[in-house]
Amino acid sequence: MDLHITKKHESKNMNIQSLALYIGAIAILAIFTIACRIAGKQFLTVTNIQNIITQSSVIAVIAIGQSVVILTGGIDLSVGSVVGFVGILGGLLIKSGMPLGLVCLIILISGIIIGICNGSLISYGKVPAFIVTLGSMQIIRGLTMVLNSGRPISGFPSSLRAIMNTRLFGMPISILYVFILYAVMIFIMNKTRLGRWIYAVGGNREAATLAGVRTNKIELSAYAISSLFASIAGILLLSRLSYADPNAGSGYELDAIAAAVIGGIAMSGGKGNIGNTLIGALILAMLKTGLQVLNVPVYFQTIIIGLSIIMAVYFDKADERKSE
Amino acid sequence: MKRFLVILLALAMIFTLVGCGDGNAKDTASDGEKKLKIGFIPLTLNNEFFITMVKAAEEKAEELGVQLDVQATDQHADASAQLEIVENMITSGVDGIIIVPSSSEGLLSSLQRCKETGIPVINLDTRIEQNVLDEAGIEVPFYGTDNYAGAELAGKAVVEQFAKGIETAILTGIKGQESGEARRDGFLDAVEGHVNIVAEQSANWEVDQGYVATQNIITANPDVKLIFSCNDGMAIGALRAVEEANKDIAIIGFDAISEALNLVKEEKLYGTVAQFPAEMGIKSIENMVKLLNDEEAETYIDTGTKFITKDNVDEHIEYTKKYLD
Repeated sequence: MDLHITKKHESKNMNIQSLALYIGAIAILAIFTIACRIAGKQFLTVTNIQNIITQSSVIAVIAIGQSVVILTGGIDLSVGSVVGFVGILGGLLIKSGMPLGLVCLIILISGIIIGICNGSLISYGKVPAFIVTLGSMQIIRGLTMVLNSGRPISGFPSSLRAIMNTRLFGMPISILYVFILYAVMIFIMNKTRLGRWIYAVGGNREAATLAGVRTNKIELSAYAISSLFASIAGILLLSRLSYADPNAGSGYELDAIAAAVIGGIAMSGGKGNIGNTLIGALILAMLKTGLQVLNVPVYFQTIIIGLSIIMAVYFDKADERKSE
Repeated sequence: MKRFLVILLALAMIFTLVGCGDGNAKDTASDGEKKLKIGFIPLTLNNEFFITMVKAAEEKAEELGVQLDVQATDQHADASAQLEIVENMITSGVDGIIIVPSSSEGLLSSLQRCKETGIPVINLDTRIEQNVLDEAGIEVPFYGTDNYAGAELAGKAVVEQFAKGIETAILTGIKGQESGEARRDGFLDAVEGHVNIVAEQSANWEVDQGYVATQNIITANPDVKLIFSCNDGMAIGALRAVEEANKDIAIIGFDAISEALNLVKEEKLYGTVAQFPAEMGIKSIENMVKLLNDEEAETYIDTGTKFITKDNVDEHIEYTKKYLD
């Protein structure tokens, strides 16, 4: 009963936070629209909005899994390497003449296997998530180099590019993928036992164990989900560029964490709304696009993006500051 | 707990396997009687440029009967990681070191270590600043591409082939790297007064960032007609964005990696500037062997550049085939 009441109270706070996030996103959009207008450039056009969503799609998809892991109180640094790994793996398989559908299936399975390895070391092995995934980040990157002796792969059939570059009702299909993947995960997090348990593990692990939740299993699943989404993102990136680069995805883990954090997922676990992670990813892409359209020198771009991440969380914590 | 032990066991097995592989390699290497041993340090081993360089160097080393010890940092190539490699190589007893420095200035301590131990150094690709060499008190031959001249070739071709006033964008590499800046400057100086530069973006040498930057450049400048990209990776990213936007934009890359050559052949890229990394590898081994036998070595070699378009792409593809696969 008690649990129920706190849950309600939290969801009210959650809504205020979400509202602040939406206002923030719209404010950034407005600022860039005006700034670009002054500079004589177009920002708020259908094409550019589509661009922003396609540009954010890879990070947005990785960030789904990252959010799940962060909700359990963990972190997954290996996702960027997974993106690179599945790209080279997929590239080699496609080149060997395997049908595309089967290649995608193998990629997804290998993603889940990587996640299970990470997850079992973390949950059953009790090695801190930061350490395990820091290690596997490097192991997987190394394996990627070994697979094709560090070389990129190119010259793919056009069917590969079609995965990402098809248009549906005049919209890039990547937008559809992102929305479907988010819809599925939002459903799982809010309407299924797995979702509630993930929140429970991150919120109060001991209480969850006492309540009969098999915390180790849940934690393991979170890492499997994370690697699964990273491998989906890997397919999307491979398709978009039609070029498998062994370095692909390096640094994406940090962008994914940033998207989750801007979206209000608490690094301490247990609190946050997966749907808002998408807004976080869009804000990141919007900043990048806006600054590039304005032709802002690259050093300042990085400074502004860094400041924005800190500011987003600062405003997010307004509540906590008040209650102290 | 049991499961954890299983995992540990599995890990132990992997390490043993890897360890064995290493051991074997060393055994065969030490077979010959007192071979010369040269340490070769490319910037990284994860792009075609350095792989070609290493491959050519390995072939040459085998031909000359010297042992080549290749070590590279990962993609976050930095001076401190290179210093470690240099120190480890000195410890392992190499006779000479051939290095592609991670930056033009950060190698002072590495060079001083070489100087102390009397190991000769040859510098490839990115030139170490003269003041660094002076401070280390060491003379280092340099063999590499004149990036400025290479980009100038591309710029001159643009002046000849494209209409005056064409709207042009530039994709640059990581800011502050000398070779990247030289390419940018070489192109800009050659096209000055002929093209109208509307945008310049850094895409950090990466394919995906080249794609994003180009999308944004097109958004900001719908009439852009030419893109000069300081490497081929970013040019490939740019091409994807241009194709998606359904635009007619000529793209020029730099490096002539194999995918870029294919794209030039298919007339999707307008051109790319070829460098000759294999030459760097070969010349460095030849001259290092000379140095170690107390002969004179070349102090500077420009390994050359060539602007590749659809007209001469076939012969260049033929040439590069030797060092790949």
